[in-house]
Amino acid sequence: MGSKLKRYEKIEFLGEGQFATVYKAKDVETDNIVAVKKIKLGSREEAQDGINRTALREIKLLQELHHENLIGLLDVFGHMSNVSLVFDFMDTDLEVVIKDNTIILTTANIKSYVLQTLKGLEYLHLNWILHRDLKPNNLLVNAKGVLKIGDFGLAKMFGSPNRVNTHQVVTRWYRAPELLFGAKQYGTCIDIWAVGCILAELLLRAPMFPGESDLDQLTKIFGVFGNPTEEIWPGIKTLCDYIEFKTFPSIPLKSIFTAAGDDLLQLIESMLVLNPIARKSCTECLKMPFFSNKPAPTVGSKLPLPQSIRKIAEIERPSLKRKLLEGAEGGTLSKRLFV
Amino acid sequence: MDDFACPRCRTTKFQNPSLKMMVNVCGHGLCESCVDLLFLKGSGNCPDCKIPLRRNNFRVQLFEDATVEKEVDIRKRVLRDYNKKEEDFATLAEYNNYLEEVETIVYNLTNNIDVVNTNKKIEQYKKENREQIQKNKGRLGRDEYELEELLELEKHINEARKQEILLEETEAKKKRIQRKEALIDELMFSNTDAKNIVNTFAQQAKEEQEEEAKKPPSKVTKFSTGIEFGRKTHTTFLPVPTDDGPLYEYVPIIVDPDGPQPPLDKDITTKGFMSHVRAETEQERAGGFKTTIACMRALQEAMMGLYHTKRSQY
Repeated sequence: MGSKLKRYEKIEFLGEGQFATVYKAKDVETDNIVAVKKIKLGSREEAQDGINRTALREIKLLQELHHENLIGLLDVFGHMSNVSLVFDFMDTDLEVVIKDNTIILTTANIKSYVLQTLKGLEYLHLNWILHRDLKPNNLLVNAKGVLKIGDFGLAKMFGSPNRVNTHQVVTRWYRAPELLFGAKQYGTCIDIWAVGCILAELLLRAPMFPGESDLDQLTKIFGVFGNPTEEIWPGIKTLCDYIEFKTFPSIPLKSIFTAAGDDLLQLIESMLVLNPIARKSCTECLKMPFFSNKPAPTVGSKLPLPQSIRKIAEIERPSLKRKLLEGAEGGTLSKRLFV
Repeated sequence: MDDFACPRCRTTKFQNPSLKMMVNVCGHGLCESCVDLLFLKGSGNCPDCKIPLRRNNFRVQLFEDATVEKEVDIRKRVLRDYNKKEEDFATLAEYNNYLEEVETIVYNLTNNIDVVNTNKKIEQYKKENREQIQKNKGRLGRDEYELEELLELEKHINEARKQEILLEETEAKKKRIQRKEALIDELMFSNTDAKNIVNTFAQQAKEEQEEEAKKPPSKVTKFSTGIEFGRKTHTTFLPVPTDDGPLYEYVPIIVDPDGPQPPLDKDITTKGFMSHVRAETEQERAGGFKTTIACMRALQEAMMGLYHTKRSQY
């Protein structure tokens, strides 16, 4: 254990979350920059209860997953009463990119980001895993323009017929309508809805459905797509928390995304479908014309990133890069309580 | 705690986000407000199994499965008496037999098997080993002891670090006083111009201070995410690169099953795989779940890695 401890040299503190602190560190053996997430196990009582559940999920699932667009768990080691997870170091995340108003995102840029997300997600779904917490904040980007899906604290295997899942997953703004109606059996469609919302956010540069409560969330969704009926969503009335809403007319997407091309609108339309069964899968989405059409997706090194990151990357290339933490679980407290 | 409704009042987590499920020794759950209502007098009967319960025995339910909760409860009670440690036994086999016995007792009590006899057994054990039980109560097991030590050690390290910082500070203070005294000495006994001496000392002190002084915390201009406050007055957009890379073409992910090839998606329905599988309910389908998914996963998991040998790893 001692050798592992010496292997990672702490560079700086990145952030602190509910149950972990994240440090930027250097792997002495390979000279790579990594992010070390140290799980807190402070008092004696906590130490007796064992390791945090979300951390356990991350370790369990990430150990077996290897994909360019998924955050890599490089190492796990224990020291004293602590457990530390070593991840790829990522410079920033999509939330920062979206909020940085000096960045212009072209169709090619958006295509590249969504493409990378879907590729990672396709691999995840192929391995029977749902991410259940996709949002811009969890899509990490490094200075090379590679996007990786991070934070597997809510991820879970799916496809067990008698297993009941909780519907209190996914940050509300990216939560699919079937979850808001309290579905207990669901599938990959919930992740697709979240990607659809992220794609919309990349275009609008603001959240598409910023609901203030679960009911407000549904109101916002139906305000765009109109109310669901038994015809377009068979069985909707059997869902636990189903309630009737006052009727909304649907708005054509073209009037919301005025600058989007037809192939892009077609993609959004097939991801943001109210009926989960009718939503397209990752593979189907990747085969859609939007991705193969011109303009080609921007190559990683040319993707726009916040200025601070590019500058530092240029000066100190390639070793030291700029901060930004590894899903240090800030602000997601309320969500975690439901797990 | 998914969508557990309280069995009495049917309140769910969705209706009342602050809903807390409580559980007592019998393993039947109740929500907090029902406990408050039913056990107003401090004791009452379980609405499920009618056994008398005391209110202070209600605890917040930690596990989704209430039987687990019940087992934990029983285990705690049993282990209060069966508290021998490995050190108390001559051989490992004896210790293992003892553990086995404890497990049997816990299992029997949890699943209501032969409760009377089991309780008798416990009573008898208690009588026979009264002294030892008392003695062991105050003693920490080896594991607990190690944990305690570890935490203690960590505390020491932290304290040592604090001491170090304190030491550094006093050191700095001492230095400052020394410098002052040296200055006075110089002024008293040196022949050079007093002004010069004061100047050189002041310069020295300044240099040292500059060296030591940490940069004052810079004013916060950013959110913790690295986004700057407010809109910048001179928004210069980043240049938009125009040259394109290669066009994208879909490449399917190929998984090596390391076993017989599992049936394809389309074969699941056409080749009769579904004939002995429970069809999904309307509610499940509305939530986006299809039984074909479960069937597919079961088939894949059954076939994957069947040809796996140690050598094929490399």
